[in-house]
Amino acid sequence: MGMLQRILWNNRGEFLEGLLVTAEISLIAIAVAMAVGLVICLVRMYCRPLRWLAFLYIEFCRGTPIYVQLMWVNYVWPELFGWPQSFFAAGWAALALQSSGYLAETFRSGIEGVARGQRDAALSTGLSPFLTMRWVIFPQAVLMMTPSLMNQFLVVVKSSCLVSVIAVPDLMYRALRLTSIWFEPIEILSFTAFLYVAIVFALSAAIKWYSDRLRSRYA
Amino acid sequence: MLGDWIQAVTGSLFWEYRQILLIGLATNFYVFLLSGVLAMAMGLVACLARLSPLRALRWCGTFYAELFRNTPEYVLLVWIHFVPPLILTLLLRTRINFSPLFSAVVALGLASSGYFTETFRAGIQSIPRGHVEAARSTGLSGALTFRWVILPQAVRKMLPEALNQFISLFKSTTLVSLIAVPDLMYQVSMITQEQMRPMPLYSGAAIIYFVIILCLSALVRKFSEGWRAVGRA
Repeated sequence: MGMLQRILWNNRGEFLEGLLVTAEISLIAIAVAMAVGLVICLVRMYCRPLRWLAFLYIEFCRGTPIYVQLMWVNYVWPELFGWPQSFFAAGWAALALQSSGYLAETFRSGIEGVARGQRDAALSTGLSPFLTMRWVIFPQAVLMMTPSLMNQFLVVVKSSCLVSVIAVPDLMYRALRLTSIWFEPIEILSFTAFLYVAIVFALSAAIKWYSDRLRSRYA
Repeated sequence: MLGDWIQAVTGSLFWEYRQILLIGLATNFYVFLLSGVLAMAMGLVACLARLSPLRALRWCGTFYAELFRNTPEYVLLVWIHFVPPLILTLLLRTRINFSPLFSAVVALGLASSGYFTETFRAGIQSIPRGHVEAARSTGLSGALTFRWVILPQAVRKMLPEALNQFISLFKSTTLVSLIAVPDLMYQVSMITQEQMRPMPLYSGAAIIYFVIILCLSALVRKFSEGWRAVGRA
């Protein structure tokens, strides 16, 4: 018990700060991914000349492993685009890159999932295409894609531990550093794994509960 | 600037090291095969536990699936590589180390076995209860019912999902470079340290993985569509 206290409790600040960085990078990544994913989805659906580009983008994001993307963004982007200049930015950019591909498809299936008759009806009552989108299609699509959007957030949280590889001081990074300082991997790594499992499990339970509630209320 | 872009897409540096890189890619596939077998085996065991009539076993199966589905693969990889050998060393009082390849196969296999458990379970539970009852009432034993009535239909149902799991597993094999299994990404980072030119190498690796996974998922789509068409008959 003294051992646990010495290693885990006395370093609780490290773990907490690591958790905060994990939360921060995941939230930034999912927000950016939503914005980019929406743009890509709209291009794919409504901008014919650029459709193939959006398609390639989606396939690339979904078809490359996240670790490869992380390395690619971290090492290649600064030379190609002059950005990102910090590991933190490279971390969220890679996480967002991966998710934006998946989210673009989620958005598309959400919008296409709204029955065609709804759109025809709205247009024939004299709503403009924009208003139809805003008041008829969008609310129903959002309802349909909320569960997969939240699941994508879960995926981001799970993959966020990889950013420790490029020295972003998240939970995993701090755990590995504490391990190399104290050389007590049993306690530190097991506790870290437990934290990750607990967080991901709690999140996924909350998502399941919320999606069930949405479904029972509106569908 | 333009030179950078051209360098990023031309593969001359890649071509120079093709032998090492190909061996790395073969290592990826090797890890993929071994951990795929482990994942299917463990997934089947856990799935049978989840469907067993004993509540304790069911509970164990659920716990197993939830545990491995909710652990990030990298965390599991590091944990398995460092913690169990140390515990075994303390218990047996002899020095025990896991080779990187062993840890990699075990960690990835366990991580994806959680998903396989759920896929198998969904496949088996999708078979209408009436089929089982009909088979049993014609005198087939439990095992024979499973073998000849449930399994052929369930496999057909879960195949597309299972193949997609294999693709995710292949993507995860890139992580093993982090515990020094000499896969493609590991070789790329080694060559980068030697040459100090990360751009063509990392871009090349991304493109290679992209092409492989694109082909794999096209195959999966084609295969599972054909399979589904047969299943309808």
